[in-house]
Amino acid sequence: MRSPRFALAIPAWAWLVLFFVVPVGYVIWFSFGYKPGIFGTHANDVLSFDRYVEALSPTFFQTFLNTLWVGLAGTALCLLIAFPVVYWMAVKVSPSKRGLLIALVMIPFWTNFLVRTIGWQVILAPEGWLSTGLNTIGVLDGPLEILYTRTAVLIGVVYNYLPLMILPLFVAFDRVGAPLREASKDLGAGPIATLARVTIPLARPGIIAGVLLVFIPLMGDYITATVLGGAKGNMVGQLVASQFQTAQNWALGSAMAVLLMLVIALSVAIGAVILWILSLPFRSAHRLVLGPES
Amino acid sequence: MTADTPIRILANASASRIIGRELTRRGFLSAAVAVGAVGALAACTPTSTGGSPQASGGPLENKLSIYTWGEYDAPEVMSAFTSELGPQIVIDSFSSNEELISKLVAAKGTSGYDIVVPTGTFIPQMVENGLLTKLNRDLIPNIEHMDSAFLGRDWDPNNDYSICKAWGTTGFVYDKSVITRELKTWNDFLDAAQNEASGKTSVLDDPGDITGIYFWANGIDWDTTDAGNLDAAEEYLVNTLAPHLAAFDSYPGGQSIPQATMTLMQVWNGDARIGILEGGEPDRWQWVLGAPVTEIWMDNWAIAAGAPNPEAAHAFINYVLTPENSLAELDYIGYHTGGTDIEQAANDAGFEMLDLVFFTPEQIATMRTGKVTEAQGRLVDIWNKMKAAAGA
Repeated sequence: MRSPRFALAIPAWAWLVLFFVVPVGYVIWFSFGYKPGIFGTHANDVLSFDRYVEALSPTFFQTFLNTLWVGLAGTALCLLIAFPVVYWMAVKVSPSKRGLLIALVMIPFWTNFLVRTIGWQVILAPEGWLSTGLNTIGVLDGPLEILYTRTAVLIGVVYNYLPLMILPLFVAFDRVGAPLREASKDLGAGPIATLARVTIPLARPGIIAGVLLVFIPLMGDYITATVLGGAKGNMVGQLVASQFQTAQNWALGSAMAVLLMLVIALSVAIGAVILWILSLPFRSAHRLVLGPES
Repeated sequence: MTADTPIRILANASASRIIGRELTRRGFLSAAVAVGAVGALAACTPTSTGGSPQASGGPLENKLSIYTWGEYDAPEVMSAFTSELGPQIVIDSFSSNEELISKLVAAKGTSGYDIVVPTGTFIPQMVENGLLTKLNRDLIPNIEHMDSAFLGRDWDPNNDYSICKAWGTTGFVYDKSVITRELKTWNDFLDAAQNEASGKTSVLDDPGDITGIYFWANGIDWDTTDAGNLDAAEEYLVNTLAPHLAAFDSYPGGQSIPQATMTLMQVWNGDARIGILEGGEPDRWQWVLGAPVTEIWMDNWAIAAGAPNPEAAHAFINYVLTPENSLAELDYIGYHTGGTDIEQAANDAGFEMLDLVFFTPEQIATMRTGKVTEAQGRLVDIWNKMKAAAGA
């Protein structure tokens, strides 16, 4: 009986085709067109790669580099912050308190993304409470000059995306379980060796999931950069939005969007290759062969 | 903020002011609008197939959607309209005429917006492209309270499509505690932006106003279409000015002035007034009307083609034109609404800082009306490149 099984998948396929394949197809199609005049948004009677050339001109290319920098640095910081926190939550804390800790991570996440980001605008303002406080205790002399810089965007994205890193990491660490760590200890491994040889390798799918969950949406982020970045923390998301919303140049906006997708896909692919190369020696050295001895 | 805001937040006195302001401000509104745009467009269904619904004085619909500039309507007038006449008002905001037009063009009459507030110079092309619907003037008798000086302008000589909502001008505000010399002209603005205020300067997020700075400072006609002028403007704005800019912000009065985020800001007069009044340090900030020339703009009430609630839209426009409501609007937004004798009324009511609202005939003589020309695409292009260059 093959047909019922196929029927069950129809909603998923329909969703994918209608809301992903078709819109992305449109964006790709528009990106080969041009803007026909003040009140037209796109025309496709002449097809060319000109919009891509325009999008990669030095003026706009710099924004792509900035975005990649924020994406990589933001993801790395999320991982660095989340790792010890999650390790502590999943390994050190008693299981009865873990639910509470997860809830504490989640509750800010349920607050509106925009409101949370605007909150940072208030905190980082040169005459906001953080600036005043740092001046009072003498850490800082003069106003805090962070708002409307790339640093502000970085702080914003780390804050906004951290839960997306913590949750998959927690699930992965939690799944490794105490018995395996105990077994490792019984077999003579110290805490660091256990972490490096048992916990991390087994939690690897969770780490990869967390990195992807943070990196991909972060690269396309538009709100954080708009609210905290001002003119200096510009990201590609804003370029695309301004092409669609203000310049009404859907062709150029589409080309930028396609390029952004390509940059993300390429970055993920490069990351995967690096990870694979790094794991090569490790993998061959520790292969365990189970079977009848010959 | 206003006493009738329905959101209740428990916070200490100083924090509650900031929160209240933040919740209504441009940052929140325009970002929320931008983010919600796709959803909103998808959710709106056309109420008519072809043609635009024309109001005939029938019963009011129970909703009214207004797409306007940020912080541009007095909340007490909005809520009074709803309680007196019924329709619930939903407000969205935009930062530039281009943004408004792009949304109306993309939606092709299904934007779901009833009232829109374009600047006069954009109206002829908007009419030509079928983005606006004709007003039924029989439903707007209160137009009689308008000063005739602000009716029948070039872009709509018979007020078939639009009625003056407010008019204002462009200048800049600077922090006197940082910039100690006196700034008087656009050239001073450009000079300070590259010196004392480098990295702490914001300009309006509007292609016409950004490029205007260069043209006004250099004595070039604002509506120039000369390629040499446009090239020179691009070269200067993108390569020389943009690296010193910290933000493209159409509403610095919302946050930058009250929180002293910037040192020098290009700003519209009413927004400057709001910011200086809310900041609590009126002596710190200096408003300067752009010189030797600057712009005069007039925003207009108009009804979008395909408006789902045309009766309520006409009723609302008629409602805000009464002298009391016009004065309440002026008090809140800080722009001349074009009502007859409103300057006298505002003086009698004792409103603060009216020198940022009303201008002398000599000042008005230095203000220029913009024009949408074939260079419009180029101006938007320069604006885009400036944004990219500022982040480099």
